[in-house]
Parts: sequence; structure tokens; C-alpha cells
Amino acid sequence: MTVAVGRRGVPPWPLIRQVLHRSATSLRRIPAAIVPVVVMPIFFTVAFSGTFSGLTELPGYPTDNILNWMVPYACLQSASFAALASAFALGRDLEGGFYDRLLLAPAPRWTVPAASIVWAMIRALLPLSITLALGVLGGITFPGGPAAVWWLAVGSFAVAALGSLWGLGVMYRLQRQSAGGLVQIGLFVVMFLSVGTVPLDLQEGWLPYVARWNPVTYVLDMARAGFIGPVGWSEVWPGLLAITVGGLLLVWWAERGWRRLVP
Amino acid sequence: MEPTVRTAPIVAEGLVRAFGDVRAVDGIDLEVADGEVFGFLGPNGAGKSTTVRMLTTLLRPTGGRAIVAGHDVVREAAAVRFSIGVALQDASIDPLMTGRELLHLQATLYGIGRRAGRERSDELLERVGLTEAADRLVGGYSGGMRRRLDLALALMHEPSVLFLDEPTTGLDPMSRVNLWDEVRRLNSEHGTTVFLTTQYLEEADELAHRVAIIDHGRIVREGAPSTLKAQVGLPTLLVDVDPGTEDAARSALSTVGEFRPTRAGRVAVGLFEGASGAAEAVRVLDAAGITIHHMELNTPTLDDVFAEATGRRLEGSGEADPT
Repeated sequence: MTVAVGRRGVPPWPLIRQVLHRSATSLRRIPAAIVPVVVMPIFFTVAFSGTFSGLTELPGYPTDNILNWMVPYACLQSASFAALASAFALGRDLEGGFYDRLLLAPAPRWTVPAASIVWAMIRALLPLSITLALGVLGGITFPGGPAAVWWLAVGSFAVAALGSLWGLGVMYRLQRQSAGGLVQIGLFVVMFLSVGTVPLDLQEGWLPYVARWNPVTYVLDMARAGFIGPVGWSEVWPGLLAITVGGLLLVWWAERGWRRLVP
Repeated sequence: MEPTVRTAPIVAEGLVRAFGDVRAVDGIDLEVADGEVFGFLGPNGAGKSTTVRMLTTLLRPTGGRAIVAGHDVVREAAAVRFSIGVALQDASIDPLMTGRELLHLQATLYGIGRRAGRERSDELLERVGLTEAADRLVGGYSGGMRRRLDLALALMHEPSVLFLDEPTTGLDPMSRVNLWDEVRRLNSEHGTTVFLTTQYLEEADELAHRVAIIDHGRIVREGAPSTLKAQVGLPTLLVDVDPGTEDAARSALSTVGEFRPTRAGRVAVGLFEGASGAAEAVRVLDAAGITIHHMELNTPTLDDVFAEATGRRLEGSGEADPT
């Protein structure tokens, strides 16, 4: 038989769809890989809510329901784990040579890293749903109405995408799975040195200075806004700005790494 | 992006790839004709894979230029990728997928529709003898099966130029011969141009119409294997002697032939009189009191061509004795 191969170019979507399909198949074949995605958000929610429940007694704490404070944090933490998993998968493909197969495809090459980012965002959807469901069972409230869930989703997807860009930059430079450790450290540092557990006004020493410069602080504020009170433009614009600026910087970071990998 | 000028399927002019101060490929020129099997031969680290990665658009040259299937590998990289099939050194296949899934994925990567992709996958699985193993995870395949699958993947879109980077490294002899048969069939029945890198002399000798020998990033010999071997000329007599007596043996044999590089404990001479000079060689060694442990007479091989060009042997134990 003769195969009809388009000479004018392969559209990007089939490649992205196939890469996503392959990622989902890999996850299905290694069920253990799904465990952290399910367990970690539950662990974060239960552990943080239990450990820090007394904080709501402090004057100036923004909410009297610890779940309203911790569930968004657990969602964003889990989204960063999705980005980390995507980085490890990329490292495995780079090390094993499978990435070369993708790069040899005649589709536009930007689709290859784009697929990694989209996969991390899709993967973040699962812990977001689980954590939110757990929050509802535990008595979380929605003072911001449906907008609370919307902005939480925006924050989660943004962390997954930005975390993936960070991971792409590291992996393209080091090109081995073990570099995932470096991705993990970066993600942990920015997540923990934010307003994850304690509001900015209640932090002491050098922590508030770091948190104030940490873009995750503003993304987290945005993702939490609807769980603290009504959501207006003033609650979300700093987060959107942080996502935009952080996104641009991380696209630059990933693109520089990409240039080292391919012509 | 059809080629506007008809050129050879693969042309490289002064191709260079430097990594910092190291020039892995140092200005190579080559031209592969339509329908040719071209062997690219050299030891590990000679620059074979780097050359392939540049010709297949996976690596940007730092100097010179290359045209593959009528397209520049830098400026028209996507068009090059349309026209070529590539099986890289370490069969780049995902162990968590089945053979059939990988073929379907490959079909999508090349813009082949779902139905046509399925039909083509079935055809290729049958062709490489993997129909029964098609729905097993690739992680459970043997080395030979992985290589055959890799070849099938490279053929999915019926490329006019096929790059095989050390396709039989690590395979058992039977799998190696099967793969050779498939490459021969591809070339003879479909006219596919094949660029084959290998460190196995026998493989290049068996398959290639022409070979280029690369060493330290430079092409040191190029031509048909028979021509290259004829240029080396004299048959080589290899004599294993007691360690420490090599110099005495060389001295005795200086009247019957010229010396060739070989390993310690062995003396190699190209016999002036051809095979008939072997008897005289035995006589002079006996007269000099040299103990002969083993003796063999070889007609020139590509290894001799390599040794003549570089002063080292490609086969055997590393660096040869240059004397």
C-alpha cells in the first residue's frame, strides 16, 4: 500500500493528542504513579488543617474556617506535584531516547513541550477535584460563590503550567531523570516560602520579605480569594500579573533550555 | 516545499559540529547516490552518531551545510523530517507501550489518518515478523524484536531516505542477519536510500555499496568496499609469537613483506609475493629461532583499510601496536 503523508505539514493537534494519550496510557500501566496524585492532596489537607487549626484563633487571621485557608493551598501544592511528574516523565523520555522520536516528527516542534504543559494541567485536575470534594465533606464554605471555584481552578492550572515550564527548562539543560530532584527543590521552595500556611501579616523574621517577592503568594491569594470573601478585581489582579510575568520569565527559561536541545 | 533542484539524496559539504573546543565532526564532505546503501564506518566516538544527528535535524551543525532529500537540514528541517525515516542507536521506544500502539503513534506523528495508520501498522508488523507480539508491552521484547520494531516505525511513512544508526549493535548473530536481509529487501525492492552507521566491518562489507571511514571526526577513506580493499593490496600474514620476540620476528620478516599495525604479541606483514610468500615467511622465522604459536593469512578487509588509513585497528583490543 501507499501511505498518503501530507507534504504541506502535519497539524499540531494530533501530535499533542497522541502525547497526551501516551501519558494517560503510561499512567494506566503504572497504577502506582497515580497514588501520589490522590494521596498527597488528602495528606496536605488533613495534615495542614489539623496542625494549623489553632491559627484561626489569632487576631487578624482572614478566616475562621481552617479548611477555607488550607484547601486552596493543598490544591496548588498538588498542581506543583503534577508539574513535577511531568518533568520526571520528560527526563525519562530524554534519557531513554523517546524524545528524539517526537522531535523527528514533521509536526511543529513547539507542540512537543506544549504537550508536556497541557498534560501537567490535565493531571492537576484530579487533585483539584479530590481536594475540593474533601473540603466540601469537611465543611468548607464558599463566601465568594462559584467564582471561588473558578479562581481556584485558574490558580491550580497556572501553577501546573508554570511548574512545567520550570521543569522543562531544567530537564532540557540536564537531560536526565535525576534532574527531577532539582525541579522538586525549586517547586518546594516557592510553595513553602509563600503565604501557604500563615498570612503575610502574621509571618515574622525574614519570611514575609521572601513571601512578598514570591509570585506564588499572589497566585495563592487569587486562588483563595473566593474562600475568604467576595471576589473582585482587586483580589485577583496581582495573581494574574504574577502569572503573566512569571509565565514570560519561565517561557524564556524553558526556551533557552530548548535551544540547547534542538536546532 | 518540494525540492527545486534535483540533488543526491544526501549531500554534506564541510559539515562541522563542535562542542566547545572539541570538533566531534570536523569538516566532512560526502554524497550518497539515489538508491544506494551507504556505510558510515568508524570506532566509538569517531563522530558517526553526531553526523547522523545533524543529517536528521536533531543537531544543528556549527559549520558547513547538508542537504537531505533536496532540503537544507537547518532551513528546511521539517521538510527533511517528512522525507526521512530514522532508527537511532538505542531503539527509542517506550517500554510501557505495545508495538501496535507505538506504530499508531508513529502514524499520527506523520499525519497519517487513523484507518490508513492501522492498515499500515498491520502491514509493517507482518513484514518485520512481529504480528503475534504486536499487543505485548515493548518492555518484554528481546533486543532483536525492539530493533525490528524500530525499523518498522522508521518505515511507517514510506521514507525515501532511511538512516540506521548502528542498527545491529548488541544483537545476536541470527537477529543481525535477519535485519540485514530486511535492509537489503528495502533497498532492492523499494529503492530506499540507506545511510547506515556501524562499527562492524562485516556489516558494512555485507550491506554497503559504498563506505566512508570516519576517524576523529574526519573521513579518512571513501569508496566501494572492494575498491578500498584492493587499494590496500597485499594479503596480510598474522603471526602470533612469544611476547618479547616481536622485534626479532619483524627483523626476520623484513625481507618478505611490509609491516602492518597489530596488537602486542603478534606480527602482521603484507606479503610482497602474495599468498605464496607465506612459505618463505615460515622459513625465515624458523631460521631466526622464533616460536610460532599461531599463523593465519588474511586477504585485505575493511579493517586493513582502516588500519592503513589511521594506524589503528577497528576490531580487536583497542589500540594497535603502531610498529
